[in-house]
Amino acid sequence: MKILGWTCTLMFLLSVGCSGDKPTTAGKTGGPAPKFTLAWSEYPSWSVFGVADELGLLNKDAGKQGELEKKWNVDVVLKGVDYDTCIQLYGTGEADAVCITNMDVLGSATSRNSVAIFPTSTSVGGDACVTVGIDNLEALKGKKTYGLAKSVSQYAFERILTARNLNPKEFPFESMDPQAAATALQTGNDSIKSIMVWNPFVMDTLKKVQGSKRLFDSSEIPEEIIDMVVIGKDSLGKDGSKRFAQCLMETFYTINKRMENPETRDATLVALGAKFSNLQLEEMKQVVTQTKFYTTPAEGLALYKSDKFKNTTMPAVVKFCVENQIVEGKATVGFDKADSQLNFDTGLLQGLIDGVESK
Amino acid sequence: MYELEINHVSHRYGDYRVLNDINLQILPGQIVAMVGPSGCGKSTLLQAILGTHPPTEGEIRADGVLINKPSRNVGIVYQQYSLYDFLTAEENVAFGLKLDETSLPSRIFSYRSYAKKRQVHLRKAREFLEKVGLSSAMGRYPAELSGGMRQRVAIAQAFILKPKIVLLDEPFGALDETTRQELQMMLLKFYQENLKAKQRGERPEYTIIIVTHELNEALYVADRVIGLSRYHTQSEKGAMIVYDRPCPVFSPDDPRDFSKLVEQREELRKAVFDESYIKDHNKYVSFWSELAQDSQLAATAAANQPAPRRIR
Amino acid sequence: MIRRPIPRWLAIALGVGGVVLLLTAYSILSARQTRKNENQRVIPGWQTFKEGAARLVRPQGSAEDPQPSMLATDLKATYWRLFLGFFTGVALSIVMGIAMGAYRFIEALLAPVMSFLAKIPPTAMLPIYFVLVGTDQKMFTAMVALGVFFNMAQSIYQAIAGEVKTVSIDKAYTLGASDPEIIYEVIWKQILPSVLDNLRLQIGPAMIFLLAAEMLVGGEGMGFRIRMESRVLNMSVVYIYLTILGLTGLMADYGLLWLRRWLCPWCVR
Repeated sequence: MKILGWTCTLMFLLSVGCSGDKPTTAGKTGGPAPKFTLAWSEYPSWSVFGVADELGLLNKDAGKQGELEKKWNVDVVLKGVDYDTCIQLYGTGEADAVCITNMDVLGSATSRNSVAIFPTSTSVGGDACVTVGIDNLEALKGKKTYGLAKSVSQYAFERILTARNLNPKEFPFESMDPQAAATALQTGNDSIKSIMVWNPFVMDTLKKVQGSKRLFDSSEIPEEIIDMVVIGKDSLGKDGSKRFAQCLMETFYTINKRMENPETRDATLVALGAKFSNLQLEEMKQVVTQTKFYTTPAEGLALYKSDKFKNTTMPAVVKFCVENQIVEGKATVGFDKADSQLNFDTGLLQGLIDGVESK
Repeated sequence: MYELEINHVSHRYGDYRVLNDINLQILPGQIVAMVGPSGCGKSTLLQAILGTHPPTEGEIRADGVLINKPSRNVGIVYQQYSLYDFLTAEENVAFGLKLDETSLPSRIFSYRSYAKKRQVHLRKAREFLEKVGLSSAMGRYPAELSGGMRQRVAIAQAFILKPKIVLLDEPFGALDETTRQELQMMLLKFYQENLKAKQRGERPEYTIIIVTHELNEALYVADRVIGLSRYHTQSEKGAMIVYDRPCPVFSPDDPRDFSKLVEQREELRKAVFDESYIKDHNKYVSFWSELAQDSQLAATAAANQPAPRRIR
Repeated sequence: MIRRPIPRWLAIALGVGGVVLLLTAYSILSARQTRKNENQRVIPGWQTFKEGAARLVRPQGSAEDPQPSMLATDLKATYWRLFLGFFTGVALSIVMGIAMGAYRFIEALLAPVMSFLAKIPPTAMLPIYFVLVGTDQKMFTAMVALGVFFNMAQSIYQAIAGEVKTVSIDKAYTLGASDPEIIYEVIWKQILPSVLDNLRLQIGPAMIFLLAAEMLVGGEGMGFRIRMESRVLNMSVVYIYLTILGLTGLMADYGLLWLRRWLCPWCVR
């Protein structure tokens, strides 16, 4: 169970203070490959990095290189851990880069200036309110919905209600770990009839609980919950960091190509499924419709350049975070503004499109 | 009426026969020493008398009452662990009075009347401790007492309830020689009190079976010695009482002169401990006939007169 | 020389020195980290702690509808759960442990099952708790209680087996004790120091079980706050909570030691 991991996290928190920064192995092109760490957790568009390790594109271990690592002359270390642990590893500087959502990154960015180098996917149904015996929003009023507070779940919950011109205050939201919430709903407990969780818990619950219903989901707010890869600004200052970023991007888009190629599509989905809650092929086919991948650099770039994302979505996310005390004061968010705490950088995506390889 | 009566007691563990047809009657005020080779069944017999392990055959009665579980009729002092670590010396001695005269609900629900009784119990306990020479250590816990002090407390604890009989199981086995002698002296004083009680026509308070492996100790503190052994003609049926005779009585003022015990000690050793000396088990069982023959002794027993010193 | 005694004033001075040393080491570490990244909150400076503490004690809610501060809410929730769970678990374990230690048939029936269940962390059985007791207050109570119960019952039972000699029980019968009297006057009094020692040992696990559960379920409590704040790297708040937890453990430890000295003057160690 995940809770055991939490016990470990407690201990980790205690030990954080003791870990110093790793020395930078400054490598020049042709010299020894500089080492960079990516923390990833199981999620459809992030499990890609685990699959890349299996395919030999990357090698997760330090001191060992996969195909693409050799090409870019970097040593990518992959740390596949819990999502919360990812955030902590990144926040403490243990990881140079992290797979994180556009909301959670705000908390990290106020402590470590961050650069969002490319988006991997957006939730269009991957976050959902699943209910038992509650058939409409009117019936949900006043009844507790369980989900992780201060996370995309709560954001999506309140955002969708607002979008439907309802007052979120009339819909109480109680914090519970998504896995625990899904389990609680599945055990048929009387006190829990509505949960707001992300995949795989959405699909899992709908499949296992008779009479469960997808009351509403994130498909109503497309391109608002964004999964992405973020690098610390300090890490971007190290030698070889651009090659590290480019290596991650090429890895991501290579796997995407394999998913589009009919010959490798199923095998890739099965491999992803194995790294995502052990889902089977048919379930994975459904998952990727609810979690839309940004399959090419052009698609990713289009998001970063979209007026709605820049001027409406991100400000709304920041506002939500401030209101819910996720961040103290305003986190500065910029697009191609190097001095902002969170900078959406289009340079690397554009470079990939232009075929320019940085030295 | 006997204080203790053992009638045709046999005991077996599965197929192994330990005790065979044990018969023993003990008069009020007797101090009976029990000796025997190790593994001869002394503990089994003691547990049967105590009531924790009733015998497989036969019956044991204390003052006519059948013993089938441990009760306040039979007291015991072990070689160690007799005291309760969490009670002071005086509380240990008063423990029996508390358990015997008040009940758990009464101690809780009528605390006031219990508190009054408690004062009486503690006073009695202190008096008894003074009698056994422990006036200075009454408020101390067992861990703070020496081995000899602990055994004095244990003896006071067992006797304060005035049980029909008290079993002393190797009570001085773990003590140094000086302490041992002091405690033996204490038993001699108890015997003198018994004699005085008999003179007054009262029932004597201290009826004792003392188990010991020291033959001198057995003959010195007791007025009767019994030997339990398998070395007899019906050996395969288990241990029997192969020795039961009176022995000299010492007064606390007498010199500790064991030379006069030599003869009986050798007899006892041969009868009970000599593996090669196989005899009829009744050969040395003559306590009651000697008592009958010896008019003086018989008269003493009958008239509750002090027994004269008899030296063989 | 090994184990050479030192004067009391020196012992106290060294104790204080240890604390000062710890705080100094932390300050240096924090300053070094801040030089690298002035926004860092992983090893926050004292100023950040002050801000974190201020945020913790600030009343929540609006002017019309004031709510207690985060700290007050969390402490109340956690300590109430801890108390309820601990109390229930300990009370049940004393009954069960004594029953197992006193009666052979209960021992034969339950001892193997108990020693098996004592090895399973209750946090690993979360779904079972959901089914049996739901997700509210009862669940936290049950989790702490059962986490304490199995271990505690087993150690009480073992304490009886090891510390209460059969001869002490037989002896009490010869002094006229009834069965309830043996249980209360002999067994209970003899094992009380062990019970108190085991209580001290159980406080740590009980807090871990509770915090782990709070991290997963519910919108208040120290575990919840630690998870939420560490997710956004507000480590100052996390460290404040960990300090409070540490002090709680320390105080409970000393409290129980004192209680042991007071209740069991015969058992000095």
